[in-house]
Amino acid sequence: MQAQTQKLDLVFAALADSTRRAILARLAKGEATVNELVEPFHLSQPTISKHLKVLENAGLVSRGREAQYRPVRLEAAPLKKAAQWIGNYERFWNESLDQLEEYVREMKAKESHENRPKQKRTRR
Amino acid sequence: MKTDPNRNEPAAEREVVITRVFDAPARLLFDAYRKCEHIRRWFGPRGWPVTLCEIDFRVGGRFRFAMTGPTGEQNTPFGGEYLEIVENRRIVYDNGFELPGAGRMVVTVTFDEAGDQTTLTIHTLFDTIAMRNEHVGMGFMAGVNSGLDQMEELMAELQR
Repeated sequence: MQAQTQKLDLVFAALADSTRRAILARLAKGEATVNELVEPFHLSQPTISKHLKVLENAGLVSRGREAQYRPVRLEAAPLKKAAQWIGNYERFWNESLDQLEEYVREMKAKESHENRPKQKRTRR
Repeated sequence: MKTDPNRNEPAAEREVVITRVFDAPARLLFDAYRKCEHIRRWFGPRGWPVTLCEIDFRVGGRFRFAMTGPTGEQNTPFGGEYLEIVENRRIVYDNGFELPGAGRMVVTVTFDEAGDQTTLTIHTLFDTIAMRNEHVGMGFMAGVNSGLDQMEELMAELQR
């Protein structure tokens, strides 16, 4: 569990940067070479490489073996793990409370329906 | 998971607070909490109905729920004991999964009625900061301000 927590720490640290998230979003569409990644970001190649190193350490991307291009590809498993984990508790309650809102409306309607004949009776 | 309760850790870092304002009287919301016939209608995320519900609604009484996910398999039951009950005002219970070594949380639900509205506050105090973080992903939240939207986009992209 310790090792897993540390791994998640690396994943979250890697995700705590908008450039790195953008790189992942780009890679979600398919693998790319470093040069292809440099282009849309208007950043220097060493900067992109530094970001890639962080992503690689977190297990979020892997580099191909092909000597010349070494394409970068997304490793989805740790991301999915992180996403499952993010906001689980808050999401649990927010969705429950959405359902409670609907249900309480129903309870209210039922109650006022049950009260209506009574009110008529008292008026008579 | 290691779950030594570490109550020396500051409470502020072990808690999560969720609030919602309802256009309904407190007694209806309180009622929604006390009976299984109601719990089954709202408790849990969409697509995860409560398929096991036992409630002994009194201080010292216990509750036990389990939800069934989209695969049709019932998940690990969870539950605990009612620690405090103030009619239409407050329910305090402890809760945790029925798993060896699973951490516990103490949940305080407060019903504040004002005019036609009731503010429901769900305050959860976890045993440890680590447990809180595991449930909420605060390690991520702290480092990322607007990361969640992007994260969701990213996940949507991945699932295409």
